[in-house]
Amino acid sequence: MCVGGYGLVSCYGTGAQAVVEPLRARRPGSAPLTGLQLPLPEALPVNRMDPQRYPAGMAGTQAAMLAAAHEALTMAGLDRTHALTDCALVLGGTGSLAIAEAEIRRVWERTGVATALPVTSAGAMARQLATTLGLDGPVFCLATACASSANALLVARDLIRRGQARRALVIGAERLSAITLSGFQSLLLLDPAGCRPFDAARRGLQLGEGVGALWLEPVPAGHADSGRRHRFHGGANLCDTHHMTSASPDGGAMARVMQAALTQAGVAAEEIVAIKAHGTGSADNDLAEAAAMKTVFGARVPPFTGLKRGLGHTLAACGAVETVAFLACLDAGFIPPTAGFEAFDPALGVQPLVPAQDAPAGIYLYNFFGFGGNYGTLVIGHG
Amino acid sequence: MAEPSVVYIHASAALGPNRDYLPAQRVRLSADPAPSDLRELTRRVLGQSLRQASHFVELAAIGARLCLERAGQAPPPATAVYLGTGLAEVRAGEALFKQVLPPGPGLASPFDFINATNNMAAFYVARLAGLVSRNLTLTLEQFSFEAALYLAWQDLRHGAVPAALVGGVDENSFPRANHLRFLSLRDDQVMGEGSAWLYLNGDPDGAIGEVLCVETLKTDGLGGTAWAQALRQFVGAQFTPTAPVSLLPGYGLAPEETEALTRALPGVMLAPYLDYCGCYPTAAAFGVAMQFDVPPAAPQLWLHVNRDRRGQTRLIGVRRPAGC
Repeated sequence: MCVGGYGLVSCYGTGAQAVVEPLRARRPGSAPLTGLQLPLPEALPVNRMDPQRYPAGMAGTQAAMLAAAHEALTMAGLDRTHALTDCALVLGGTGSLAIAEAEIRRVWERTGVATALPVTSAGAMARQLATTLGLDGPVFCLATACASSANALLVARDLIRRGQARRALVIGAERLSAITLSGFQSLLLLDPAGCRPFDAARRGLQLGEGVGALWLEPVPAGHADSGRRHRFHGGANLCDTHHMTSASPDGGAMARVMQAALTQAGVAAEEIVAIKAHGTGSADNDLAEAAAMKTVFGARVPPFTGLKRGLGHTLAACGAVETVAFLACLDAGFIPPTAGFEAFDPALGVQPLVPAQDAPAGIYLYNFFGFGGNYGTLVIGHG
Repeated sequence: MAEPSVVYIHASAALGPNRDYLPAQRVRLSADPAPSDLRELTRRVLGQSLRQASHFVELAAIGARLCLERAGQAPPPATAVYLGTGLAEVRAGEALFKQVLPPGPGLASPFDFINATNNMAAFYVARLAGLVSRNLTLTLEQFSFEAALYLAWQDLRHGAVPAALVGGVDENSFPRANHLRFLSLRDDQVMGEGSAWLYLNGDPDGAIGEVLCVETLKTDGLGGTAWAQALRQFVGAQFTPTAPVSLLPGYGLAPEETEALTRALPGVMLAPYLDYCGCYPTAAAFGVAMQFDVPPAAPQLWLHVNRDRRGQTRLIGVRRPAGC
């Protein structure tokens, strides 16, 4: 099984290549939040897609999903004339909440009336997208918070391995939502200074929007597993029942999901070249993730990096968005460094990668940890 | 991969819109049920209140606990949870819209925000039962339960998980006109809610039934009779009925489609379960789980059939031996 193609729409622009140089240079893709009259800190940094090309609402969101999907298909050598028979679509995040908000806001601005509008469900969006793309295999839509699109990748992998689909497109989409911003602010989880993963002064999240798409397929016969094909070794999803919104402080559950992913993939901890950490920049989460990495890897924790200062936390979509961004950097020859990190935190005992470093061929670990204790770890090869 | 193995049903529970979960409590609905308050039932079934939890979370937690109690033994911690929901947190979501969006933009209530995370119900189910394994919430309109059951069935058949707790949960909201923003109902359809669960594993000992199939049929564009014939062909190829077959018509079926199906499947008996739970996206879970309320005198085979506006059809086949 491999990632045969990928596509991305992010705060840096359309296309996976758009993230490569900014991430190498640790250049944040954020801008101060505007346009929402909410009681939020002034100049709160957020990461948005191009609002002209992908306006808030259904049309803009679908356009971003299609742009990412077509990029992934093109990279996999599939143009729009190829039949995608028996190919699955698995969605992890659709941005449906923000779509409903955009509609209500649009009517409010035009009429001054707060309207109750028909709600488009994530499931309906998934099935519509499959029809538009001509994917006539199974369709699934995962709703597992920030592990949604990581879990979508695991479900897609199983569908192919078990012969229920020939190939699969996985998409994770997230739009910036007033309710989400407001909710995280209520929980005191937004950092007005922006996300600082694993930094001693970290205070919380920086929210973003984006769409990532990955095309999964069996490794083509007669092809070496090399070049832009990334072998998908496996992964795991487990539930941390400690608390609704915070991790087991000792990182025990995070360690278990990483270990389960390695076991499932048949990969030893020593084989891991580097880790794409979840790295939300929240005090508790980063502490637990650091502890978990030390549990799994002992004294030799591989280089690890957090991408959320650059891309924002794209919530349900981050499994797709960050995996694609990380793969694009690996394909450009480097492991991306951690933007937002400045000062070592002795409580963590480890620090993320700064600056970028060459990306050797090998196996990489990808962590995604969500609310509701929903944890997903992926094991993906490079080169 | 290894040959898939059989998946057995070890327990079921169907919690309906009138807080009914025992055969004697079932009520045929003639109108939309009144809003139900689950706090007392939560305390009684779970032995504790779920402070700050939403109605949707309570629904899920009670149904799952009832199912596991009927299994007669604690599930292994590696039991996976698959929760299908078409609408998820309707009420918490509504509250958030009012709090945050115009005309009165303000901050979201932290608890409404947490509850509105669509996987929070599955988290509570896992936490209350001590389950630390795979935990998936799936949404696919009126096929949400079928999607959850399909993944659980496949994971079990391929040995990816040792046991699975699979549920379909949806809540209603009031008034009806407001709820119709979320799902289309005909005037003659009662809106319902429910939380129905199956506990599954690969062990035949002590099983009360077996999952035979969870299938998707592409029946786009087929009219009633042609569609019924396509289903008849599928059923004929799939099953050698060794027991009477009962048809559980899902809420997506038009009356004429149900009629066509009963004509196309000779001898089939109709089991109109929606009379008891009302219409909601995951009512299929209620329909299947409710059949296990009472041990049958003779073996039974149930076929749940649902269809959506796009014309796709989903089938669930389950079997129960006599006396189990």
